[in-house]
Amino acid sequence: METSLTAAGLLPAVAKGNVAAFEELYDRYASTIYALLLRILSNADDAQEVLQETFVKAWTSAKMFDAVRGSEVAWLISIARSRGIDRLRSRKIRNEREDEAGRDVSVRTSFSDTTTGADLAIQSQERKAVRSALAQLPEAQRVALELAYFEGLSQTEIATRLSEPLGTIKTRMQLGMKKLRDHLQTFQ
Amino acid sequence: MTHEEFESLAALDALGVATGDEAAALRGHLGGCFTCRRARDEYGEAATLLALELTPIAPPAWLRARTSAEIAPDFAASRRNGWWLAAAASLLVVTLGWREREVRLSRARETEQRAILAQLEHENARLSSELTALGSSTTRTIALAGQEIAPAASAKVFLQADRRRALVFFHDLPANPGDKSYQLWIIRADQPAPMSAGVFDVTKDGKASISIDNLPIATEIKALAVTLETRGGVKQPTNTTFYVAGSAGL
Repeated sequence: METSLTAAGLLPAVAKGNVAAFEELYDRYASTIYALLLRILSNADDAQEVLQETFVKAWTSAKMFDAVRGSEVAWLISIARSRGIDRLRSRKIRNEREDEAGRDVSVRTSFSDTTTGADLAIQSQERKAVRSALAQLPEAQRVALELAYFEGLSQTEIATRLSEPLGTIKTRMQLGMKKLRDHLQTFQ
Repeated sequence: MTHEEFESLAALDALGVATGDEAAALRGHLGGCFTCRRARDEYGEAATLLALELTPIAPPAWLRARTSAEIAPDFAASRRNGWWLAAAASLLVVTLGWREREVRLSRARETEQRAILAQLEHENARLSSELTALGSSTTRTIALAGQEIAPAASAKVFLQADRRRALVFFHDLPANPGDKSYQLWIIRADQPAPMSAGVFDVTKDGKASISIDNLPIATEIKALAVTLETRGGVKQPTNTTFYVAGSAGL
């Protein structure tokens, strides 16, 4: 099947059952999403399962994607992050023995010996811009955002973790998100 | 509640931390407010920057095939919509089969080579970054000594306080049984209970390394120690048989 799929056109094509578009979508974004899931789950087996679930969900729900509301990669990341956090929470409940490490620290082992595969989805130039934007966040705001985003903690849990008043945490997260939104607008 | 307040709620909602009441109030408002709905979408997009900052890691190649296989029944079903479609597909396979196969093999090889190259570049960048960090004047080194059960063992901790991370290299640890994992513990000055810094396995030659991110800020680390625990690790150490241990002296 000949495809002439553009970056903007993959999900609409996937929604029509175009397998080549699906495979291109996977090749383009799997590495980005796998890195996110490893960050959330700190476990390669779980990350691989959730990665597969994410793309199967993308296949079955591509018609729900609305390009007016956000980008393709943001839509995929949203699915992956939500499922990753669900997996993290169910794992905590299922096995109290599992090292959730107080989630004060996250451990990253090298996965390079077990991985081969797809293209880097986000070009290094773009990632540099993202890192530059995030580097401008005050440390306290960044920590609060990361605890929420990568560990799925609630406002109250973050406040407890950081020994800060709930109102302070809420304000930090709101300010941090506003800065990210402002940066995003400068990218666009 | 004002639009500004709803926008603030939208920021929390995009991050997944809005409370039930906050989320319900926001949903009620978004239905009739284009401006706040747009703000919520933009915050959703902004939150993904946190994920995009991470260095991509290629998943195993077999996972792509497994994922494609899972959606394949749908693909096959779509082909069963008419016998003529199947016949046309068969004809296409006959006429173009070998050519397509060659193209596919060529593409697969190219993809694999590009992936390996990307992986090597990624590894190279990572190792260069690690080497630079290890040689930095701000990096502090902590030696952990083998204890009674493993006197020959040792470990070195390279602590980068400014980056809130540490690299730990272990040597001459006895191999851990398959149902056990080694677990590194941080003893903090501000709390009596040790905090897990991760689990690891040891290679046949007694070596292991782990990277610890997001070390607690503004917290004094008193000591580090390693115990052997149930595979996957435990919340708190179940024994005081330390394999390597040492005072941070910070």
